[in-house]
Amino acid sequence: MTSLTEPGTALYQFLVWLQASPLGEAMRHSGVWSYGVVNLVHNLGVASLFGAVLILDLRLLGVWKKVSVAALGEVTSPIALTGFLVAVVAGVCMICTNATDYAGNPFLLIKFPAILAGFANAVILNRQTAWRQRRTRDFSPVERRRLAWLGGVSLACWLTAISAGRMIGYW
Amino acid sequence: MKLHRNMLLGITLVAALLALPALPALAHHGWGGNQDVEFELTGTLVKQVSLAGPHATMQLKDDKGQLWDITLAPPARTDRAGLKESTIPMGATVKVHGHRNSNMKKFEIKTERVTWEGKTFNVYPDRT
Repeated sequence: MTSLTEPGTALYQFLVWLQASPLGEAMRHSGVWSYGVVNLVHNLGVASLFGAVLILDLRLLGVWKKVSVAALGEVTSPIALTGFLVAVVAGVCMICTNATDYAGNPFLLIKFPAILAGFANAVILNRQTAWRQRRTRDFSPVERRRLAWLGGVSLACWLTAISAGRMIGYW
Repeated sequence: MKLHRNMLLGITLVAALLALPALPALAHHGWGGNQDVEFELTGTLVKQVSLAGPHATMQLKDDKGQLWDITLAPPARTDRAGLKESTIPMGATVKVHGHRNSNMKKFEIKTERVTWEGKTFNVYPDRT
């Protein structure tokens, strides 16, 4: 599997392109603390995303039934979206710095599909009729079960993405 | 499902305790993929020190013409050890001491000490 990003592949060419980009160039020449600071911003983004997602997903899974899904969604959705965007921007800066260093790193190939799956799952949740009508009515048992599944899948995706992301540096 | 507060606290504590043994291993990340034996290499500097993240780097060429990727400490630490981007000129003869990548097809060394013209830069002084 790791051969997908070894030299000679299209993904490796993409890493070369990222590293040669003006962003990569800027990251490498912006002082000895820039990478650490960008890494901090990335972590704050991930913490906001996962904190918000954890609360909403546990609610969809049936915890804190006394709190309405609509009320929780009001709080968690904007935090999750903002955290996601911050993490993406900072993450792109980080990978561009020395992109080819990650060639052959298996955790990269776990992390990015997990992010895509987590994002797709969030889009699917937002398109559910039940979810869109959460402010005006209660869910049927069937809908509740479907939303619980979406919550569970979401948790699995983001936990996988974060775990694999953390392990990239330990490979 | 109703999760009791004490139960949540218990789960958190158990998870934290289980994670404790992993701490010493994680204290120094990224060295697991390198050999335990000390490794030394003398070569010509073909790419000057880059103080970019996550780790500062440079490149040496040995007497057989093989290129070696030299991984140094994080940028700020390498800088503090006195090794700036232009400290060592291109073409200089440099000795590095550290640990070679366990994959023998990879010519990479995680470096503890850099010696050039009698000057030693201890980028990881607490490692031997």
